[in-house]
Amino acid sequence: MFWKSLKATFLRNFISQIRAYPMSFFVGNLLTALYSVLSAWFLYHLLFNGKLDDSFSKLAGTGDYMSYVIIGSAVYALAVRTCLNVSRSLVTELREGTLESLMLTPFSRYGYFTGNMFQQTVTSLCEVLLALLICTPFGFSPEAFQPLQFIIALGASLFAFFGMSMMLGALMLYTRDTYISQNTLFIFMYLVSGVLFPQGYLPDVFVKIGSLIPLGTSLEVIRASILGITNTVFTESIVYLIAIGAVYSTIGFISMRRIEEIALEKIFG
Amino acid sequence: MIQLKNVSKIYTTKTGKNPFKRVKSEKLAVDGLNMQVEKGKIVGLLGVNGAGKTTTIKMISTLLEASSGTITIDDKDVIDNRMDIKRNVNMITGGERMIYWRLTGRENLNYFGQLYGLDLNVLKPRIESLVKLVGLEDSIDIPVERYSKGMKQRLQIARGMINDPDYLLLDEPTLGLDAPIAKDIRAYIRKLADEQNKGILLTSHYIPEVEALCDYIYVLHNGKLLYEGTSKMLATQVFDTKKYIFETSELSETKMKAMYAFSDALGASVCITKEEGLHKVNFESGADCHKELMNYIHQNRFLIHNFRVEEADLEASIIELSRRLS
Amino acid sequence: MKAFFNLVQAEMIKQYKNYFHNKFIYFSLFLWPILSFVNGYYQFKPFDFSGVSKSISYLNDDTLLSYVLIGYMAMIFFRTLVQSAWHFSFERTAGTLELVYLSPANRVAIVFGNCLSALLGSVWLFVVFLVGIQLTFSNVQIENPVLFIMASILMVIMSVNWGMLLNGLFIFTRDSAFLFTILEEPMEIFSGVKVPVVLMPFWAQAVAAAFPLTYAIKALRMLMFETVSNSEVLRMFGIMLLICITMFLMTLFILRVGEARNRKTGNMALF
Repeated sequence: MFWKSLKATFLRNFISQIRAYPMSFFVGNLLTALYSVLSAWFLYHLLFNGKLDDSFSKLAGTGDYMSYVIIGSAVYALAVRTCLNVSRSLVTELREGTLESLMLTPFSRYGYFTGNMFQQTVTSLCEVLLALLICTPFGFSPEAFQPLQFIIALGASLFAFFGMSMMLGALMLYTRDTYISQNTLFIFMYLVSGVLFPQGYLPDVFVKIGSLIPLGTSLEVIRASILGITNTVFTESIVYLIAIGAVYSTIGFISMRRIEEIALEKIFG
Repeated sequence: MIQLKNVSKIYTTKTGKNPFKRVKSEKLAVDGLNMQVEKGKIVGLLGVNGAGKTTTIKMISTLLEASSGTITIDDKDVIDNRMDIKRNVNMITGGERMIYWRLTGRENLNYFGQLYGLDLNVLKPRIESLVKLVGLEDSIDIPVERYSKGMKQRLQIARGMINDPDYLLLDEPTLGLDAPIAKDIRAYIRKLADEQNKGILLTSHYIPEVEALCDYIYVLHNGKLLYEGTSKMLATQVFDTKKYIFETSELSETKMKAMYAFSDALGASVCITKEEGLHKVNFESGADCHKELMNYIHQNRFLIHNFRVEEADLEASIIELSRRLS
Repeated sequence: MKAFFNLVQAEMIKQYKNYFHNKFIYFSLFLWPILSFVNGYYQFKPFDFSGVSKSISYLNDDTLLSYVLIGYMAMIFFRTLVQSAWHFSFERTAGTLELVYLSPANRVAIVFGNCLSALLGSVWLFVVFLVGIQLTFSNVQIENPVLFIMASILMVIMSVNWGMLLNGLFIFTRDSAFLFTILEEPMEIFSGVKVPVVLMPFWAQAVAAAFPLTYAIKALRMLMFETVSNSEVLRMFGIMLLICITMFLMTLFILRVGEARNRKTGNMALF
């Protein structure tokens, strides 16, 4: 049942996207990544004339500011795209009127969400890769790229994002809101996860809360595998990502199950 | 009076995947339409989906501009006197759009009333009377998102009356309503025309509703006017015969032959079948021969068990028209 | 006139009730701008202030907070109005826009009411927060507070006019989400929120010139950090007023032409 649900969901989403690809959304996402990088480039080169404070190298583990920011923007975009669509899959079904017909079937929830995640990952990776290509002229230098480390880091990160999307999905289904909940999380992630500047600059309380969001650790390991940063404890971070992904997925699935019942009662009531 | 003279509407669209090489295509939605709606009358506008009904209504309401021809309301051209026309016309559509779901019913009516520039001392009592009229007193202060479909439709009707328009354009006003509510709404629509002298243009797919309400009907097909007239006129234009059906006790061979001869003499046709010891006679004639037939039955002492006259109704006429056109 | 303001008030009330339907809306009004502001502030931390361009010599560790604050405060006004225009475009899909156009209501009053609703409902909380931050944590003294307040008022008027213009554009555009993306994000980069426009290359300055926010931020920073002559101030205020008038006239044009075009094409009901 798991594999059937996974495959069916993957195919369904893939076909829908191929037939009605939201070009404006795609261009919008590309532009968002481009704007982040452009903004950083302006700050670095035009305002500060390329002068970094010593604290940056100490905290970031690299003196390559533009590569740091470009990777941060790309991974953030990947996290948001996967989280966004996977977490709101049930709410989307609700809005499109297909939730009831889905709930009537004995579908595997794990298969369903995993299928969503796989499909979204494929699409998002293509978009992020394209965004990286566009941003390369701004100073992206992956000279210390280590493919195996990168694949492990990416895989663990995607699993962690999946877990986060399950938690977010449960919240969205409960509140029947996709806008406030997701945007609050994404804006908070953007601040505390070291996307545009090292987490070390933030007050401790932000850093502590940020440790609950896997994006920060994900950025550390991915940057380590691309920029050759050595002050990251790679293995421990991977274990952390997998563990947090497992915990969040479990809590998310259990909550979602319970909330579905409540949500369906609310709809029919 | 709403008057349309030779009105046409062409929609122009540009299609094609290549943004630099788009092909222009035109769709003639309404073609040379002539029609009128007088005050105090209810006029029906019928046609299959895509016939041009909604386009016609939107042109009259000033939301769309006709490509050619003229539309006047009380001798004022709708293009030159747009704002005046808007004050005197309103539109009610079926469905659940066109109201603010997060606002209460009252807040919706308040808002729309103010769009028509109504003073609060006029608007407040009007809202109260409209709320009473549509039967929403108990739910008027609840957010619309919690209304049932029928309640939303009733709110739409109240909204459509908020500016006390001289002319109302109703696009499927009882869509989705259950029978008792729909009946009340129909009675109210009739009242609006009879007692308040409003001119009403109504579109509906529910033919019995059109038959019950409309004083005059226009039938559109592919944007062109196909038929116009009262529902009786329409029925006789489509079906030119009347059926007289009755059951009588067993007829002898002689009597049956005589019956056939009688129908031939009148230029009618007759079909006699035997069912459970009775003879069923199906007498069909182009002319009204009720009197002749009654006399014949009386003279020949037929023992009648059932007698009925079948005249083509509007629904049958519309179905027959659709069949002929397909 | 009375009818105009009644309509503005009706639109403001409707928009307020339509969007402030639950307490979580306040997240978007308060928490998000604060997080964006904090993010913007910390983005400067990796840099060595000794590298700052000579033309922005007033920027250092002490003035950083006020510098970022000005940029974000002005941006939040304009951004809120962009968002209100985007929200208004949803009325097309809901069918309520068609009803607005069915009525004889003054179209300018409708868009003005929508903008005022966004401004008064959304922005005030954040502004209070920022003013509090400035007064509590900043050492920067404003040389001429009266002129600064005048510039702030002009900024508000500019943002309202910008909002009205965008309302007009968004009503008649079917792809408003895309328009939103190409207008909102570049506004933050090119209007000088973080990097002053004067440091940007020519092409970027040309883009900046199209955004009224650019002039608002320039005026406010000029009055907060620099010593300027009265003629320079008057010139700046004159430019801001001229931009306001231009935007207002463009709004009138778009509303009229857009509606006339919709009557011909029937696109009002398309989404």
